Formats: sequence, C-alpha cells, structure tokens
Amino acid sequence: MSKMEDRLVYMANQIGKAFILRPHQEAVDETATHLKAFWEKRMLTRILAYIDAGGAGLDEIPRQALLKFRENLPK
Amino acid sequence: MRIFVPQDSAALALGADRIAQAIRRDAAARDRDVTLVRNGSRGLFWLEPLVEIETAEGRVGFGPFTPADVPALFGDLTAHPKYLGLVEEIPFLKKQQRLTFARCGLADPLDLDAYRALGGFAGLEKARAMSPAEICAEVKASGLRGRGGAGFPTGIKWETVRTASAEQKYIVCNADEGDSGTFADRLIMEADPFCLVEGMAIAGRAVGATRGYIYTRSEYPYAIRMMSAAIDLAARAGLLEDFRLEVREGAGAYVCGEETALLDSLEGKRGQVRAKPPIPALIGLFSKPTVINNTISLAAVPWILAEGAPAYAAFGMGRSRGTMPVQLAGNIKHGGLFETAFGITLGELIDDIGGGTSSGRPVRAVQAGGPLGAYFAVSQFDTPYDYEAFAAKDGLVGHGGLVVFDDTVDMAQMARFAMEFCAHESCGKCTPCRIGSTRGTETIDKIIAGDAVERNLALVTDLCETLKFGSLCALGGFTPYPVMSAIKNFPEDFRGPAAKLAAE
Amino acid sequence: MGMIHEIDYGTKPSAATKLVTLTIDGQHVSVPEGTSVMRAATEIGTQIPKLCATDMLDSFGSCRLCLVEIEGRAGTPASCTTPVAEGMVVHTQNAKLAKLRRGVMELYISDHPLDCLTCSANGDCELQDMAGAVGLREVRYGYDGSNHLDAAKDVSNPYFQFDPAKCIVCSRCVRACEEVQGTFALTIEGSGFGSKVSPGMSEQFFDSECVSCGACVQACPTATLMEKSVIEMGQPEHSAVTTCAYCGVGCSFKAEMRGEDVVRLVPYKDGKANHGHSCVKGRFAYGYAQHKDRITKPMIRARITDPWTEVSWEEAIAHTAAEFKRIQREHGKDAIGGITSSRCTNEETYLVQKLIRAGFGNNNVDTCARVCHSPTGYGLGKTFGTSAGTQDFDSVDEADVILVIGANPTDGHPVFGSRMKKRLREGAKLIVVDPRRIDLVRTPHVAASHHLALRPGTNVAIVNALAHVIVTEGLANEAFIRERCDWAEYAEWAEFIRKPEHSPEAVAMLTGVPAAEIRGAARLYAAGPNSAIYYGLGVTEHSQGSSTVIAIANLAMATGNIGRRGVGVNPLRGQNNVQGSCDMGSFPHEFPGYRHVSNDAVRAIYERDWGVSLSPEPGLRIPNMLDAAMDGSFRGLYVQGEDIAQSDPDTRHIVGGLTAMECVVVQDLFLNETANYAHVFLPGSSFLEKDGTFTNAERRIQRVRKVMSPKNGYADWEITQMLARAMGMKMDYAHPSEIMDEIARTTPSFAGVSFEKLEHEGSVQWPCNEAAPDGTPIMHIDHFVRGRGRFMIADYVATDEKTGPRFPLLLTTGRILSQYNVGAQTRRTENEKWHPEDVLEIHPHDAETRGIKDGEWVKLASRSGETTLRAKVTDRMALGVVYTTFHHPVTQANVITTDYSDWATNCPEYKVTAVQVSHSNGPTEWQRDYQAHSKTARRIDAVAAE
Repeated sequence: MSKMEDRLVYMANQIGKAFILRPHQEAVDETATHLKAFWEKRMLTRILAYIDAGGAGLDEIPRQALLKFRENLPK
Repeated sequence: MRIFVPQDSAALALGADRIAQAIRRDAAARDRDVTLVRNGSRGLFWLEPLVEIETAEGRVGFGPFTPADVPALFGDLTAHPKYLGLVEEIPFLKKQQRLTFARCGLADPLDLDAYRALGGFAGLEKARAMSPAEICAEVKASGLRGRGGAGFPTGIKWETVRTASAEQKYIVCNADEGDSGTFADRLIMEADPFCLVEGMAIAGRAVGATRGYIYTRSEYPYAIRMMSAAIDLAARAGLLEDFRLEVREGAGAYVCGEETALLDSLEGKRGQVRAKPPIPALIGLFSKPTVINNTISLAAVPWILAEGAPAYAAFGMGRSRGTMPVQLAGNIKHGGLFETAFGITLGELIDDIGGGTSSGRPVRAVQAGGPLGAYFAVSQFDTPYDYEAFAAKDGLVGHGGLVVFDDTVDMAQMARFAMEFCAHESCGKCTPCRIGSTRGTETIDKIIAGDAVERNLALVTDLCETLKFGSLCALGGFTPYPVMSAIKNFPEDFRGPAAKLAAE
Repeated sequence: MGMIHEIDYGTKPSAATKLVTLTIDGQHVSVPEGTSVMRAATEIGTQIPKLCATDMLDSFGSCRLCLVEIEGRAGTPASCTTPVAEGMVVHTQNAKLAKLRRGVMELYISDHPLDCLTCSANGDCELQDMAGAVGLREVRYGYDGSNHLDAAKDVSNPYFQFDPAKCIVCSRCVRACEEVQGTFALTIEGSGFGSKVSPGMSEQFFDSECVSCGACVQACPTATLMEKSVIEMGQPEHSAVTTCAYCGVGCSFKAEMRGEDVVRLVPYKDGKANHGHSCVKGRFAYGYAQHKDRITKPMIRARITDPWTEVSWEEAIAHTAAEFKRIQREHGKDAIGGITSSRCTNEETYLVQKLIRAGFGNNNVDTCARVCHSPTGYGLGKTFGTSAGTQDFDSVDEADVILVIGANPTDGHPVFGSRMKKRLREGAKLIVVDPRRIDLVRTPHVAASHHLALRPGTNVAIVNALAHVIVTEGLANEAFIRERCDWAEYAEWAEFIRKPEHSPEAVAMLTGVPAAEIRGAARLYAAGPNSAIYYGLGVTEHSQGSSTVIAIANLAMATGNIGRRGVGVNPLRGQNNVQGSCDMGSFPHEFPGYRHVSNDAVRAIYERDWGVSLSPEPGLRIPNMLDAAMDGSFRGLYVQGEDIAQSDPDTRHIVGGLTAMECVVVQDLFLNETANYAHVFLPGSSFLEKDGTFTNAERRIQRVRKVMSPKNGYADWEITQMLARAMGMKMDYAHPSEIMDEIARTTPSFAGVSFEKLEHEGSVQWPCNEAAPDGTPIMHIDHFVRGRGRFMIADYVATDEKTGPRFPLLLTTGRILSQYNVGAQTRRTENEKWHPEDVLEIHPHDAETRGIKDGEWVKLASRSGETTLRAKVTDRMALGVVYTTFHHPVTQANVITTDYSDWATNCPEYKVTAVQVSHSNGPTEWQRDYQAHSKTARRIDAVAAE
C-alpha cells in the first residue's frame, strides 16, 4: 500500500465513522454522498483500484459506499 | 456610688482612662462600692475630662479632671476643687435645645437597655407602623435639611429614592467629617451610636433599602469601634430586621466627603467627584438608587419620628427648621457642641455661649462652615444662624463649625491657606480646582510679597469666579468663600510688606 | 483629495426613540431623550468648546469649558453631562460664559509649553483650537509658577511617545483604555495639581499592561500621546478610508497620507465593525508594506536549488503560462491547480478561481480556509443552510450570556475582544471552553462564570454534554424547535443526546472537566435569555472539527438562540478576507456563493458568462494536491498570497509535495517559506496599493482603497489577469469594480453589491439582493436559509492522535496579540519587540518533572518531527497540555503537527498533537537543514538581472 493509498483509506474510514450511528444503509448512502461531493476523480479511481486489489484496512461502510459509487462514476 | 468617666476620644486624649483607673484603684483602697460608667461626652470640651457623680439632686460634674483630683471625690463633693454643680445647670448645656444630641453623655453608649430607657427606638417603632410614603412625608414635613452643608431637604431626597425602582437600594451615611473645627459626627457616633443606627434603619424602611454603609474617617478609630459594636449589638438583638449595616473607613482625602467622590471611594475606586446628573438618589452606590445623608441628618430622624414632624418644625426660623449642632472651636473659651434652634445670632454664639477667645484677646474673625466657609468680621455678628441669612452674606452654615480667631490673625495668610487647602485636597479631576488652586496660592503669595497687588487682587477675584462657577464640586466651588470674604471683610491685610513700606 | 474630518459630537448617541425638543441659542432642535446638551448643540452645528469630551467615551465633565446656562437652573452646568429636557432653553454663548471659559483656558495654558510652532500636533491640536475658540489673549499668571514642563518623555513604545509636559490631564487616554479597550493599563496617579497620567504603577508604557491598541493616542487631544510617525513626518495632508488587512474583524481605517507615504492609520469611527477602535496590528504594524525585504521584480529559476534570476513581467508571465501549458500537455489538464489568498481582495480571489476553473479547465482550487474554518462552512451549511456567522458584531451588545469556545478574542480578534469585554463589564455572563486559561477568563472587571478547561480533542463530548443537560433538565426551547426546526429530526437527536454516556458525569473523566461545571454552564447558557456562541479555530482544527460545529449548531437551535439580536453562532474568522475567499468560490467543490460544481444550473450561469464549459467534478484540496504531487499526478501550482510551507501542518509532507512539483508559482510580497520551493516568483502588492473589497467575519463587505501605486508595478488582480491572458483566456477588466459587477451578476447572495453601493453605504452584509437590499446583519430571522433548522447527530469519536509513553503531552497551538499568522507581515514591524520568538507554554508540574526551568531551550518532538524553542512555565496551561504559536519560521511549530485532519473537510488537527518535551542542546537537525536550504533558495542572482 502506497502512502497515497494509505491516506485515502484513512480518510474514507474517518468519514464512515462519522455516520456510524446511523442505520447501516443510511450510513452507506451518507458516506457515498459525501465522497461524491468532495473527492476528486483520481482519488476515487485510486481507492476503487485498491478495493479491487483486496482493499485491506478499509472499513465496511466506506467500502460499500465506494462500490455503490463506482456504478455511477463519471468517465 | 455611680461615677461617670467619658470614653469619648476628646476625654481619652485628655487622660480619661488614667482617671478611670485611678478611681477604681482609690475606691478599692478605700473599700468603697463604686459603679464606674464609661459614658459618652456631653460635648462640653473645655471641661473634659468631665467626671460626673450621681446624687439625689441629680448628676454633679467635676472638670477638667485630672487623676490628682480623684481622692477628693470621696470627700465632700461640693468642696471638690473641680466641682461644677449640677451638670444640667451648666449654662452652656442648659441654654441648648438638645433633640438629636439629647442622650449624649447620659449613659454607656453601648448600653442598649439604657438607650431604650432614654427613649431610643421609639422612632423606629413608629416608623415600622407607617408606610414608606408616610415616613418620607413625615421627614419632609419636619423641614429637615441636609446637615452636611448643602442643606437639601432630606425628605425630598428620600422620596426620590423611594419612588425609584431597583432590586437593590442603599443608605449611605456620610460620616467623613473633614471640616476643620467640626466634631458633631464623631460625638454622635461615640456618645450615642444607636441613634445613628436607628436613623439609618428608618431611612432604609422609608426608601426600601436593605443595606447601609457608614463611611467615616480612619482618623476616628474610637468612633469606628463604637459604631461597629453598636451595629453588631443592634443586629444581634434583632432590631434591624433585614437591614444590614457596615462601617467603612476612608483614607483621609477631604474630597471623599463630597458625596459622589465618597460613593466612588466606597466602591473601591479612586475617590473622584462624579458629574451630576445623574444624581445619587437615582444612580448612586454601585449605580443603584442611594440615600446619601450626613450623619447629623440621619441622627435627627429618630427624634422626628418619635415626636412628630410638627414638634421638630416648631424649632428654627424661616426655611431653616429644627436644630443645628453648632461646633465652637478654634481660639474660643468654651469650645464644644451647642445644639440650638436656628435663629440665634453669630454674636450670641461666639460671645455669650463661647465666652470669647481663649487667649483673652479680642475676636477678629470667625470662619463659619469649615475650611471653605466665609470669614465673618465682628461687624457681622448680628447675622442670625440660618441657611438663607448666611448665604445672603456669602457665607455657609455648612456642617455647623465655627472657628474663632483673635486680632493677631493675618487674613492674607488665611486666604492663602484656603487656596493651599484646596490645592492639597483637590482630586485633580476638574481644571479650575486642579490648576486654579495652585495658581491662586501663587498669586496670593505675590500679593503678600507686595508684587502688583491691585492687578493680582483682580486676578484672584477673576480666578474665584472661575472656581465658583466652573468647578465640578464644592471643593473648588466654595474655596472662593474664605478667599473673597477675607479680601472683602479684611482688606487691610492684603498689603504686602513692600507695599506697606512704600505707603509709609 | 483632502482630509476626511469626522465630526466629534462630544458624547455618545442616545439609543432612545422618544424625541425631546429644546431651544439652543434660539434654535429649536429635537433629539432622542438622553442626548446631552452638547450633542444636541453639535447636531445643529453649534460648537460648544470642549476638551475632555469626545463621542467615543462616556461624558466626564472635567475640563469645564463646555459650561452653558440653562434658563430656570442655577449655575453653569456642563453641557456634556447635562441631558436634554423638554422645553429646555439653553444659552451656549454670553459674556459670563466667555469669561469663564477664558478663565479655564488661561489656567490650562499656564502649565503648557508654548511651542506650538514646533509641536507635532500643530494643526491637529484641540487645545490650540480651543484657545483660539475662547479667545485667550493673555496668561496673567505668568509662566514661572509650578508646572510639569520638565516631565520626562516616555519613548518606550515603538509606535508612539508619551510627553507628559504636554498633558492637560483630561483623562481621555485613561478612559479610552478602560471604556474602549478594557485593559485598564492607565491611571491618573497623584491628586490635585500633581495628577498625572501613569501606565500602571509609574511604569514605562512598554513595560506596563498596555497592549498598544492606540486608543489612548487616538483619544489624546494634544501632542502628549503622539504617533512617532507623525513626529517624524509631520501632519498628513489627505486621507482615504480603507479596511485593515489583518484579522477577520475588518476594522475600518483612515489612511492618512503625505503624498504616497502613509503618515498613520487611524481607526475610522464610522467603521461598522470597529466603531473607531483598533489593535496594535492594524493601527501600527503596516510598515511591512515598505520593508526592505519586499520583492518588487519578477524572478524565475529552473531548479529550486538555483539562485533566482530577475526578469521582466512579460517574461515571467510568458514563462509561467508556457510551463503550465506544458505540464497540462504532458500530464493532463488536472495536473495543475492553484491556491487563492485570504489576504487578497474578493475580486482577486474571484479572479484566481476563475482562472483555474475556466483557464486551467479543472476545479483544483483551494484556499487557506481549508486549514482554518472549512468545518464552519460544512457544519453551518448542513444545519442552517449557510456557511457563515449568523450575527453582526453589534449583536454582542445585547447578549446576556456569552459562550466562547476555542477562541481567544483578546489576542486573535482584539477589537471584537474589547467589544465583548465591554458587554461583560456591563453584566453579561461568560462561559469559556478552552484548555488554556485565556485572558478573558480573568481580566480587569471581567471574570468567567465557568471555565471548562477541557482536554484537547474532547470538544464534541463537552458540547454534547451541555446539550444533554439542556434536554434532560427540560431546558430546551420546544416552541422554537417546533416552529423553526424539523421536529422529527430533533426528537431523534434528543433521544441520542439523552443517553447516559453524554451526561456531564460520564464525560468528566474523559474531558477533565468536573460535571458540576458542565451542568452549571449548560444551565447558564439555557437561561439566557440571549445566549450567543463565539468560536474559533479551537473548534475547527480537529479531526472532529465539523462535528463540533454541528454540535454547536444543535445547542443553539435546541435553546432557540438563533435568529435575533444578542444570540447566534459566530465563527471568529482568522484572516481579513477568509470569509470573502470562501464566498468567492475558493473551494474545489463549489462556485462563488457556496454552490456545488455538480449543480448544472449554476454551472450554466458561469459557462454562459465565461464562455467556456466547466468541470462538474470537485477538484483537489490542498493536502490532496500535495499527496497527488508526491504521487506524480500533480505538477504545477499557482499560489497567491499564501505560505503553505509555514502555515500548513506536517511541514515535511508539504515540503515533500512542493519539491515534487515542476512549476510552483508564488505570488507574494516577500520570499516566504513556500517560495523556497518555487520556480517563479511574482511580486505581489499590499492592501495599500490596490482597490477592492474584503469581507469580514460578520459577512460585511468593505472597501479597500488604493492610496499608493504598487511597488511591484501591478495590483494582484492585474497579475492574475496577465497570467489568464497568457493562458489564452479573454480577460480585460479595467478596474476591480467590474469584477464585483460580475460577481453580483452571477451570485444571488451578492446580487445587490456594487462599488457604487459601498461608496454610498460604507459597507454591506451579504446576503444583499432584491430580498435584502440593505444587506443582512442577522441571519435566519424568520426561517433558516435552508428552510427548517436541521438537528444532526454528532457523536464523539476520539482522535487517533493519542498520548503514550513516547509522547505523553498534548500540544495545542494558537496565536498572540502582537503577531499575525505566519508573521510575514508582523515580523517585519516593531511588533517583533513584543513577541520576538515562539515559546512553549508548559504547566509548572510538567516542567518540574522534566527539570525544565522558565526561559530554557527545550526540544519539542512529535511523531512528525522535532524543533527547539524556549520554555515558558505558566499555570495558565492545564496539566499535561503544552502550547505554542506558529509565527516564526525559525521555530516551525508545524514540523510537529501531524497529517491528521477533520473527517469532512480535511481541516488539519493543529490543536492536538502528542508530544514530548525535553532539554535541548540547540537547533534540531531539521531546523539546521531547513535554514541551510532557505539560505540557498533565497539567493538572487543580481548580475543576471542587469
């Protein structure tokens, strides 16, 4: 895991934790909305690639949010 | 055998404690049953220490007393070298109309039962049966005016505070008695402290104030001790109900006798005069409605309530109702406190009551109303003691002080002293007083030195105008009274040696 | 262009609405009840002589020049202390009054030097004016009496001198220090003729409690307290009103000039943010603008280890554009970006983001708000619907309870701090939430009712505990919540907050604050009736910065403290135009007016206006840019007026990112720390050299006015415009007002703003549009901007930054009164005398266990790095917490801070770093290497410039 991926995983987990008290699906949706609103494309691309490579260390909420997100990631 | 030895500070200064000790020692040696009462002073200071013995005919006095006079007390009293006869019959006392000071010297000042037995707390009890508005109306009807010097009707002041709405109001007693030759506040505090406590409690009830402060001078240690003890006793006896009273000591600035500077000092600030408005009755201590009255005004109130306003108003003349404790001091034979109805003439007070000068030389000048009061010449001795009559002669009743000078006085020096006093006591806030008093002293020095006398007299006259109309408070505002009265009434003293030489 | 002369009405205006009519010298005048006779006279143009009266201060009545006669009243009352009354008939001029006034003036002059012609106040002296007005012709006392003419001058303050020989003892300085500034450093010593002004107990000004705010100098009617600049240069000949370029208070100043030289900056009474007050920075520390360090010629270099080569503007701009284009060609259009400046004007900031969005073709724009108040934008945006404070500063005058969280207004926002202290002296209650015992906790005549000295990093736990008390003790304002907020969201939040783990008792251990203190504070805040929250970077600069802002918003909504005067949620913004830079679309995800780039309708507005198509995707934030640079996908950066190498956290990471880039362009007044890693340096212009607007912390848009030509040749907006043109954009603004017109045209909340309007109104608070043509002092009055207020659950999540055996202490950082931010400006002024170096504040116990004594050099180490600085042992620190400032590059406090940041906004966690403190033998290796590089990187190849 590169330094950049390390940082992205850390940040994504932090966002997920902020919504951890919400019902699970809502937390995933909120995390996805947040990522969509604030993360730049190459950050998203990079972390999705990291998920494909196993995604070690990434919490469940951000993982699901990102996967949900991939479906409508702009090209 | 009941023997009275005063514990007033004047008596103490003259050795009253040593006398008391000697009496106890002598009585024990002779195996005589003596009850020693440490009473307050009657205010006949030239007779202090004034020792009294209770007899079947009444109390007889001995004075001025020394320890050497003690043994003779146990012999034939009438033969005692200091025998004065019945105290009540001493003319100085007999001629007085003692209302406020009626109880002074009669008993141990801290004897609550004695106080009550002598009519104490009758006023407060009456007040408690009245509504606050009724109390204010009663005081208004009595015609009582501020005894500190300004002469503002006390009842009107109370009414203003009563009708002001605030969650906290205060009663402040101005006992910062700084006028030269005055001692009325001290006397009441040392000889009849419950009277002041009672007066303040009545004031508290009249305006809805639950806290009171007595602001006095650190130079009055006995008065402070006596007042504090009296407050404590009265409070313990439950006589004050929810009214809380405290004594506060000043630090010796004359200007703190000015009511607004006093309030600043009481708040813990530098004692500096506040501009009015706002008046303290509305925005006073800690910015709350405050009755600030002179000690004597407050001490007059219990009698007024007890005997009724008409009884008090029956004394006096014109708009000056009731009595005034005139304090005779300086170069005078019979120095002391003389409470009398307004209307007596200055001449009667100095010559008849006071007995002329103690030096035996002719009286030349009398300064009435403290260091900022006018100098009266003998030719003005027909002036009745009355606020308006004094004002008509550019003079002040003030706090009731009269300081007598004989014919050796140099009135130019006295005028200079007035300016110097102002310079010394100026708080420094307003320009006329801050700079003017110093320039005034310098200019009078030039006059004394004979330097351009007429031009400098004109300059002093102009300066006095500036001080009188321009000053923020009475310190600067009244300094012209002694200065201009000296110049006007004693013009011959304003010719310096150089001028005198030139004239010869 | 002449001098702007403000009328001095002598006394403050009355707030009463009832009018009173009186007659002054035969003229009828109606004024509000409570107005002084003096002010009423001034209103009809009648000047009553005065010296101790001035309308900044309460009336005092000491000079006795303003005496008047009032029919039916005895004596000659002072007009400054006498309130008007119905039917009053006043005479201000007659023979008696003239004589009295002359008498008073004669006394003044008898103790005053007769050196008017050589006096620094000649031409601007009220004593001189009044002597003329009263017609003094002679001083009959002579001049040989007692006097103060030999009193020694005090020149200890670097900016002003005190010459007691000229003092007229009007007490204006003493009163200004008390009433306006609230420091109580001055007093009148002695009495009578011996009365004199004294700083403290006969101290020198510099050694006293004096904070050099300048209020006394401003108040002085003579040359007694005088700016040294006036003594050196003489009286100014023209002036212009402008806005301070320091903190987010946004004080208005008159720049008083001689030609193109600033004689002095004087606080402007009509300034709505400062009402004539100032602090040591704005008032005096403007000398940096002319400092010798200033770079005035553009420079370029191939490598950051090369010396700089001075080039022409044409060459510098062409070179920059060519480099940026090359990088985009080789690495894609997203490989470059820029950073806007919170110190530049709105117009300049707008232009930079426009250059990036329209010229670079991406949204890689960010600003320093990233590292300060980005959580405010997020938190208040989510809960209230707008990213800004809810109140104007004046609102504090009506607050009954003031809750200060993580802010130190007396140092950071001194002019507002003074305002707050004034309200507290009037009786408002104070709650301070801060790990340090900041000055506000106990200062003359002000004492906090509660000081919650929490452990850094536990803000959310404390604020939630306050809310817990309010909800469980039935103190919530249900009527307000039902009317103004979403009740279901409230109910859900209330259920969350009621949980026992949020109780004060439960968080007492965690936060280090006794439960009773928290309960007391909560009850006080809920009792109000008007409770206002003011917060600063102690709230935002945490891993839970955004959560704390949300928790604060919940607290205000739960108690109904929103939408009227005296209440609200108020971020104290750090820099002069950080509010503006955020408003102007400096964030990578939003256009001006906080509208997301993905919003098609908004994008359409700009695409139409700018004639290009715009990216709908958010760009990179500053830390992401640096990450991407390290990763190779980001290679060019345009930085306008920002020093990320000093101000941003984890300096090693910043330097690593900058070093990895191919073209770093720095536009600044000085070769700052970031410039050490730059390839192009474009000299910038100071706030005195350009026109534009700043927006302060209360959303107030104020004019910045050019008083001198730019030393570097161009205003910053012109430089951006040149670069934009070189990048191929069509851009031809002739004046910043045209940029503002474009902002107004494209941004609904600014629709009503124009330079013309500002000229007329002085200032205006956004939103300013058809719905609010005069602007909006108080927001959310009838409804929240987003409709209904939104309660959001914000749970406490502990930061990952934890103390342990290696790093047992917590470091928190802040600022100090005399210095500003990275110190680029203030370090180049005499302010350096007050704070020549950053020091480490440490509790006596922590110092003792480490054998550290006050004043000793210590090494401060974290997992990020280490530095050396001097220790200051003080019990204002809580046990286990140390504190320092980041004003000096020598110290580099940010070498210590970590890369942890706020979950929502990446605002760095400056306020919590686990550290160890130990004895030191000298600078750390990092400090030595850094200094060596700085020295190399700042070389300018003079020969090549010829």
